[in-house]
Amino acid sequence: MKAIRVLVANRPRLMRELILATIADQPDIEIVGEINDDSEMENAVNSTRPDFLIVALEKSNRLPAACDLVLQNHPRMKVIAISPNSNSSVFYWTSLQVRSSEIEASEEGVLGALRGLHARVEEVQ
Amino acid sequence: MSEKVRVFIASENRLVRESLSRILSKRCDLEVVSSQGLADALGEAMHSDTEVLVLDSLEYLFLEKSEEKAVPERLARPRVLLVCMEEDERLFLRAIRAGVLGFIAKDASALDVVAAVRCLARGEAVCPPRLCRFLFDFVAAQAVEFPQSCVKIRLGLTRREQQLIPMIGRGLTNKEIASQLNLSEQTVKNHVHRILHKVGVGNRLSLLGALEPGMLN
Repeated sequence: MKAIRVLVANRPRLMRELILATIADQPDIEIVGEINDDSEMENAVNSTRPDFLIVALEKSNRLPAACDLVLQNHPRMKVIAISPNSNSSVFYWTSLQVRSSEIEASEEGVLGALRGLHARVEEVQ
Repeated sequence: MSEKVRVFIASENRLVRESLSRILSKRCDLEVVSSQGLADALGEAMHSDTEVLVLDSLEYLFLEKSEEKAVPERLARPRVLLVCMEEDERLFLRAIRAGVLGFIAKDASALDVVAAVRCLARGEAVCPPRLCRFLFDFVAAQAVEFPQSCVKIRLGLTRREQQLIPMIGRGLTNKEIASQLNLSEQTVKNHVHRILHKVGVGNRLSLLGALEPGMLN
């Protein structure tokens, strides 16, 4: 089974590092990149072709503006947005017009979401 | 081998709690004794023999103050490290006033948190360079605005002793001061004795003459 490719673009830096620490030791998940500036998002997604993009959930419970633009060009990519300030997280899958807040913002929740959603995609394909 | 530093993590964000806990636990000199949400951590952190409390909400400290009286005297108060996702100067000042000894801002790394925990355990304070500069400027500005405070500080007066001076200036007796401050008369007497000693005078009348009028207000 192919490893799940993940690009991590969370802000602030500490939150990004905590998320990286959560998924770094997982044998079935590959971190294909890490970015600290939203302006790098488009290039990073183009060059790494991740299955999942993990970003910070803005205070208004929205995706960062740069993420909206990237999703227009990569509708099959899944996005998990995690709030740095609360337990909120949101999952987006543009091509299927899915927006869900059911992912728990915990290690188990995020890893479970990556694996569960990836398995569903493989089934569909 | 020296004992491990006992760390308590209080955060509303479960992902932060879990991953921070794992990162700190990997260090052989640190031990995470508990990691909990803010509501569950309330009071408990102060009742355990935690040395460093890592938290990401300043409000926790204000909520915790209501339980302060219940903290057993045998336990030392933990040193607090505030991990703040927003670098805000007003919040930083509030944190210092609330007793926070370490402040980690949003651009910090996970390793910075580890280093900060160790610093606090050694009794040092931690402050990001930009906010450190702000703190210098703030203290310098205060010295210009409140020269009488500087004189009090130069004399080595404690906050309580500084509080007593205007009351002495108003001619209140030890008993009246004790009543206003909810202290015993003997405690006030001790404070007054120390003030006289620090200012270098023998009685209250000489004290009033030795201090500038602004300090008595």
